[in-house]
Amino acid sequence: MMRFDCMTILAGKLKAELVILSLGASVDEWYNAAPHMRSASLFQQQLGCVTPQALGLAVGLPHRRVISLDTDGGMMFNLGILATLANECPKNLLVIVWDNECYQSIGGPPTHTATGIVDLAAIARGAGIECAYTVRDLDEFGRRCDEGLRAQTPFVIVAKVDRSVRRDIKRKHSDGREDKYIFVRHVEATEGVVIMGPSEHN
Amino acid sequence: MQASAVDTVIGALKAAGVSVACYLPDSLFKELYPALDGDADIRTIRVTNEGEGAAICGGVWLSGKRAVLVMENSGLRAAIEPLARIGMGAGIPVVMLMSYRGDLGENNWWAIPHGMTMEPLLGAMRIPYRVVDREPEIARAIHDAFTWSHAAYYHAAVVLSGSIVR
Repeated sequence: MMRFDCMTILAGKLKAELVILSLGASVDEWYNAAPHMRSASLFQQQLGCVTPQALGLAVGLPHRRVISLDTDGGMMFNLGILATLANECPKNLLVIVWDNECYQSIGGPPTHTATGIVDLAAIARGAGIECAYTVRDLDEFGRRCDEGLRAQTPFVIVAKVDRSVRRDIKRKHSDGREDKYIFVRHVEATEGVVIMGPSEHN
Repeated sequence: MQASAVDTVIGALKAAGVSVACYLPDSLFKELYPALDGDADIRTIRVTNEGEGAAICGGVWLSGKRAVLVMENSGLRAAIEPLARIGMGAGIPVVMLMSYRGDLGENNWWAIPHGMTMEPLLGAMRIPYRVVDREPEIARAIHDAFTWSHAAYYHAAVVLSGSIVR
């Protein structure tokens, strides 16, 4: 199962949602798979921070569906967030973990899931997230996305994806700081709020 | 922590617009945490480590709401990596309220490193901070930290010490 194909399926289901995603090749893939979601997506570069940030966003905007596009390496970096998600039980957060069993962006050394022993969905269930599933084909991925986008409890999809990445796609040129401004302005416009307002004196 | 100081802190957080407090509990602030939990205007989120709390606070800020990360100063060490990433890398601010373990008067050997490392780490991270050991100065410090942080889009910290926490 190719991550880009999964992203294309997910993108077709999104309109007003907000997305926070992890680092690496998935950034350029999401940039191309979901062009209509570019300003609604926060492209970050932080192992262990993506799902926590998505939780904070979901807490702040409880009426808005938030999607965390995390990775196996990122989730392994802070498994504790699964316990926090279970306890906080946000009604509007879908977590998708792209599990390619490697640190692909640095050439592909294996993560802990590569052994076949470590099961992130089982860890999530053990943490108390009842709806946590491993998916291995596109049909099931699409079905679980539909469920997760309607769910009223935390929903985790561990998508087992191929190690290879799409290279024939447009690169995203902006950095994390520009991405933050774009994303915040999108939230401001769609929520009717001011997050980064003018200084006392201009 | 004195009950009056607890009230002052919570009042100052509310005045700064805080509606979410992420915390990993410690002993010096032990009276503060249940008070935060019991406050109807503030949602508390208990975290598994302070770095997770920093990232959640950053996410809350992205929503237009205001959050505070409450912790012992040892939590700064755990939070440095996410703070560097989201603050220096993306310009997403986190305001921290820390108890000052290891300050003069500390009587626990294990807490001495907390005091030795906190201010150099804040300096290395270029995070402005104010150490407050008098209750009347708490509210102004919290106000100033939020004002600065939301002008700079970078982290700020208030550290409570002395008779406020002992």
